[in-house]
Amino acid sequence: MEEHEKVVPDSGAVFTLGKTRFAENIPSKFWFKNDIPICLACGDEHTAVVTGNNKLYMFGSNNWGQLGLGSESPVSKPTCIKALKPEKVKFAACGRTHTIVATEGGKVYATGGNSEGQLGLGDDEDRNTFHRIKFFTSQHKIKQLSAGSSSSAALTEDGELFMWGDNSEGQIGLKNIDNVCVPHQVTIGKPISWVSCGYYHSAFITTEGELYTFGEPESGKLGLPSKLLINHRIPQLVPGIPEKVIQVACGGGHTVVLTENAVYTFGLGQFGQLGLGTFIFETSEPTVIEHIKDQKISYISCGENHTALITDTGLIYTFGDGRHGKLGLGLENFTNQFVPTLCCSFRRFIVQLVACGGCHMLVFATPRLGVVEELELDE
Amino acid sequence: ASEVSEAQTTDSDEIVTPVSQKCPKAKSEKMCIEIVSLAFNPEAEVMYDENIKQVYVEYKFYDLPLSETETPVSLRKPRAGEEIHFHFSKVIDLDPLEQKGRRQFLFAMLKGQDPEQGHLKFTVVSEPMDEEKKECQEVGYAYLELWQIMESGRDIPEQELDIVSPEDRATPIGRLKVSLQAAAALHAIYKEMTEDFFMT
Ligand SMILES: [Mg+2]
Ligand SMILES: [Mg+2]
Repeated sequence: MEEHEKVVPDSGAVFTLGKTRFAENIPSKFWFKNDIPICLACGDEHTAVVTGNNKLYMFGSNNWGQLGLGSESPVSKPTCIKALKPEKVKFAACGRTHTIVATEGGKVYATGGNSEGQLGLGDDEDRNTFHRIKFFTSQHKIKQLSAGSSSSAALTEDGELFMWGDNSEGQIGLKNIDNVCVPHQVTIGKPISWVSCGYYHSAFITTEGELYTFGEPESGKLGLPSKLLINHRIPQLVPGIPEKVIQVACGGGHTVVLTENAVYTFGLGQFGQLGLGTFIFETSEPTVIEHIKDQKISYISCGENHTALITDTGLIYTFGDGRHGKLGLGLENFTNQFVPTLCCSFRRFIVQLVACGGCHMLVFATPRLGVVEELELDE
Repeated sequence: ASEVSEAQTTDSDEIVTPVSQKCPKAKSEKMCIEIVSLAFNPEAEVMYDENIKQVYVEYKFYDLPLSETETPVSLRKPRAGEEIHFHFSKVIDLDPLEQKGRRQFLFAMLKGQDPEQGHLKFTVVSEPMDEEKKECQEVGYAYLELWQIMESGRDIPEQELDIVSPEDRATPIGRLKVSLQAAAALHAIYKEMTEDFFMT
């Protein structure tokens, strides 16, 4: 184990956990020569990594062309998308079977499954290479991308939110239409600062720190009182959070919210993905995770059935469905976790980025300098 | 822990992946047992027993301590129509040289001479809440016949087993979902043990 960790360079490594298709799905890692990741994104079975040199690397399942490599064969090693090399990629988001990326120049590209128009290209034909969404121009300064099962979202620096794709549950906020194959603006008349697409539901935060949810109403994942669920197809304010909301992450059936002081969860928690212990498997009421109240959380991520939290000191906690080792808590023996659980193997690292997918998780972490001696004694 | 030799570059030449020297164990030298989920029948007595608030599941496997073969947590007793999910999986080393005892233990199960040993027995246990000073109580058993797996030669991705109560083993009170990857190991064990038998 000692040797195992020593080889990670000071610039850090990307750790692959669960069914990534990398290294035969055994917990593993890789890093870049003279480059570092700045954005990680996980779909149901595929992964995107954007680097500081603005390159895009893709790997994983590819049966819909979601890797954008011009084929439908799965790829087990992170592979650079050469066609986008001149473009300076900044952000990526992965849906169930599609991928969207944004460049420094404000261009947005999409590839993969397109049955609901989630590629934003004006039709419902699948693509196996990245195609430009003409709607977006240099005047749209993209700040964040997100992708749901078959939905997509782009948020600009000006606080404008655009969504497209599947609207069967109202997850792109349109009232009377099943799907839309070009971006449309979602607005409540206030600037928006954060967006997250879950599998069939979505959420955003206003710059004032209010949380809005919409989409599939079942199992409490919208965090709304039942009398408001009739309007689930339009964004509605979640009332039960008395603090300023900073981030939101939507999973398959659950929602995780980071405020200035706490982490709230709601929705489905049958595998522990709410982190609320072994007695609450579903709730529609935003509920504070007491278990990590003494930790300052700086980032949250949801996969379909699991959740990851990064602390301000670079520790990582995971909980939820433990299958395939996606929680990063062991090599071959796994179990569901019902409270946030510290990933001990990352104690010697500072976790910088995390992304959770369907059955996998990616972590970018740099060595924690100065703790090596102490940790070697543990072994 | 995986051992690492030197780092090698992939064909893309920009990615570095440390090469693991550890060979994954052959399928015939290990098995994996997963306790997936549990549900009780709505009309079962356990559903009305207010003393039963949370349950865990355990099984016994030769020399393994119970701490390794019981679900690490108890979960709230499932409500009517509800399933509770443990997803508790364990890989058991069946190395032919180092784990002869375990292989013989499995062979005895496969032969099924002793009806009490012909199967893997799972026990559903009620754990009292922290504030209560009561004992754990066995509320049900589920049995997995191993010879079926060997005969079919196929692993069990997910199988529902009837749970019966300790008092009345005829009436199911619920269902335990388990999965088992063991076909290759069971086949190898049966083959080697019967060959030994005919050779001596
Ligand atoms: Mg999952
Ligand atoms: Mg115990």
